[in-house]
Amino acid sequence: MSLLLRSVLILASVGTTLLIMRKIRKEKMMIEDSLFWIGFSFMLILFSVFPQIVFKMSELVGTQAPANFIFLFIIFVLIVRMFQMSTKISQLEAKMKDLVARIAIDENIRNEKNDPVEEMKEETNS
Amino acid sequence: MSNVLIMIPAYNEEENIERVVDHLIQNFPQYDYVVINDGSKDKTGEICRRRGYNFLDLPVNLGLAGAFQAGIRYAYAKGYECAIQLDGDGQHRPDFVGDMKKKMDEGYDIVIGSRFINEKKPMTMRMLGSNLLQFAIRITTGADIKDPTSGMRMFSRKMIREFAQGLNYGPEPDTVSYLVKQGAKVAEVPVIMDERISGTSYLTPVRAAKYMTQMLVSILLIQNFRKRDRS
Repeated sequence: MSLLLRSVLILASVGTTLLIMRKIRKEKMMIEDSLFWIGFSFMLILFSVFPQIVFKMSELVGTQAPANFIFLFIIFVLIVRMFQMSTKISQLEAKMKDLVARIAIDENIRNEKNDPVEEMKEETNS
Repeated sequence: MSNVLIMIPAYNEEENIERVVDHLIQNFPQYDYVVINDGSKDKTGEICRRRGYNFLDLPVNLGLAGAFQAGIRYAYAKGYECAIQLDGDGQHRPDFVGDMKKKMDEGYDIVIGSRFINEKKPMTMRMLGSNLLQFAIRITTGADIKDPTSGMRMFSRKMIREFAQGLNYGPEPDTVSYLVKQGAKVAEVPVIMDERISGTSYLTPVRAAKYMTQMLVSILLIQNFRKRDRS
């Protein structure tokens, strides 16, 4: 692992952490969602500061160069994360459909129940 | 209208909700209450409707934090002076609400119903977690909160406003830690909690580990970087 790769990893990690903290400060991100990035940055810093870990792991896995192990690790973690996000987006979409249908149905029922509201609406619209 | 609102988040609590709410209505009519049915898949919503309870019927499941915030927003919109969370499974006894309100009137922002003021914590995994959180809060804020995971917390009007408007304000120890750091006054009042009578606990070992990691990272690291621009 070259010194350059190590420094790039450290810089990227520190940058990511700072960005995430900024998002939290501005109330643009929830703490639960930030934990992944903080853990991820922490792992990369750990690998850069203690390359022995990477050497050992590389030997165990059988990658030709230690740097390859880092790439493999990052790809693997990101794929897992992507899978989780896919699931979450599906759930969000399902919830949104539920909500939209619910609002429409409620409005329909309300209109059926009391016509005065409907009349008032028409008045304000015209 | 009372100036104290009891919020009862309920997710799939069909076996408990009737007992809990009826007890409240019969024995504690001096408090207002609202049940927050968090998109339950069982009959919780149906029961609330049939019995004519005052309840918010969330159309989708938001999780405890979302249900709690819905309750807090209701409290904010209706102008309640303080709001307290009681669990939908009947673990929290409303008998102690009076004590907590009295404490709050002494000028506190958050009053926590604490199991461990006079009693020692039993040696269980759960309490190990509780101790860790207590320690984390002590080293970051200097405050000694003996029962950080107690869900029985009472909030003042000032806090209600913040919880209603903020993003990262879950009803969890990390939010308490953050607020203490920002100058909120927190007190604990001794309470007794009952065991669950019916239904299963949400906390599986995997969830517990995840919860602990999240809370510790949040308290020890993330909360130190948060600022507060509301006053």
